Amino acid sequence: MTVWHAAPTLLVDYARGEIDEARAHSVEAHLLACATCRATLAGGVDREQLKRIWAEIEEVVDAPRPGVVERSLLRLGVREHVARLLAATPSLRLSWFAAETIALGFAVLAANDAARGAHPDLGLLVFLVVAALLPVCGVAVAYGPGVDPTYEVGVASPMRMHRLLLIRAAAVLATSTLLAGGAALLLPQLDWGVAVWLLPSLSLVLASLALATVARPLVASGAVTFVWIAVAMTAAFHRDDRLILFRGAGQVAFVLVILVSALVLARRREVLDTGRSR
Amino acid sequence: MGDAALLAAVAGGDRGALRSLYERHAPWLALRLARRCADPGLVEEIVQDTFVAVWKGAERYLGQGEVAAWIWGIGIRRLIDRLRRPPPALLRSEPVSVPAGAIEVSAEEQVMLGIEHGDLGSALNRLSPELRAVLQATALDGLTTKEAAKLLGIPQGTVKTRLMRARAELREALA
Repeated sequence: MTVWHAAPTLLVDYARGEIDEARAHSVEAHLLACATCRATLAGGVDREQLKRIWAEIEEVVDAPRPGVVERSLLRLGVREHVARLLAATPSLRLSWFAAETIALGFAVLAANDAARGAHPDLGLLVFLVVAALLPVCGVAVAYGPGVDPTYEVGVASPMRMHRLLLIRAAAVLATSTLLAGGAALLLPQLDWGVAVWLLPSLSLVLASLALATVARPLVASGAVTFVWIAVAMTAAFHRDDRLILFRGAGQVAFVLVILVSALVLARRREVLDTGRSR
Repeated sequence: MGDAALLAAVAGGDRGALRSLYERHAPWLALRLARRCADPGLVEEIVQDTFVAVWKGAERYLGQGEVAAWIWGIGIRRLIDRLRRPPPALLRSEPVSVPAGAIEVSAEEQVMLGIEHGDLGSALNRLSPELRAVLQATALDGLTTKEAAKLLGIPQGTVKTRLMRARAELREALA
């Protein structure tokens, strides 16, 4: 323990910088070990400056801790602001993933059940329709007034809205595809049927994004969902092949939808920025 | 409440404890950094960075040694990280008469503190600013020669030779 203390005048000189090097060194070495002299010295320091620095520290300390999704994104090398924007996406939350898993689970159950019945293809069709549809639902609630809690913040942010929407759509598409891919492994028929929903799901997402340039995102996604289910139902009544939608000609049609939607999106993406369509 | 206990509370997420640590340690830290960095804005930033680092890394304090020394270690290294050029020398020469502290410190710090009879003090002040800066960075601020080189903006080899010369000159002056 220290018994010696720096003379108050010495500390005042030190605080003012009016001190030679040798004495300054002495004071500094002593200060590290002496709380009393540190307290004395604190009296001679600019309070305003200290208050200012503390305000800055509080701001950093009070910043909310990033959640699981955001932290794992950061660890994957995603840049900070993009990670924050992605983590705020309603359809990139654990609850949404749980909902998707349940939907896929029922589809897989249906497929397994139907495989033992009179119409084995029907179950697979249900799974494919659901798997292709999930990303559209995810994208529908990924952005826009009413569904996105950060919508107002996003409108005021310097990032272009269409970029935000596309980033989120890509993330939703990727996670949904992974989930559906995992679920597909549980299907009774593990052959060509496992991957045929990929093109449809991409085309549906792009179509709903393209439509979102002329209608509200929710309306656009609803319309795409409606058309998709209607087409799938029609195909389900096809006499020879219920899965005709997913065969060669069908896949070509999906590629066409993808190309047209991408074109529309590229030309009209500015509309998403201004929000004129809604 | 002791500094170590406060630091433990900070590690547990206690904002009030961080505030207390800040009240105790920010003043001298700001002053000491200001002697090594001529830019007041940068000093403020480094004090801020240091306490944010204390908040985030309080559990890294191993419970040994002075908390003040631990905080200084963070602060001086933040300063080195931020400095691109050496700070302008803040060196004056005045007569010295400082009593020594009775602290348990390293041999070299002991030397720093043993300015009692004025011999060492005047010897230190007679050193060229270059030699004194190297001595301050290594013996007083506890930096490695590599870190001192970065702080002073000179090659590591130069730090070593200047340190040797500083020691030789001090020894000579005190002989």
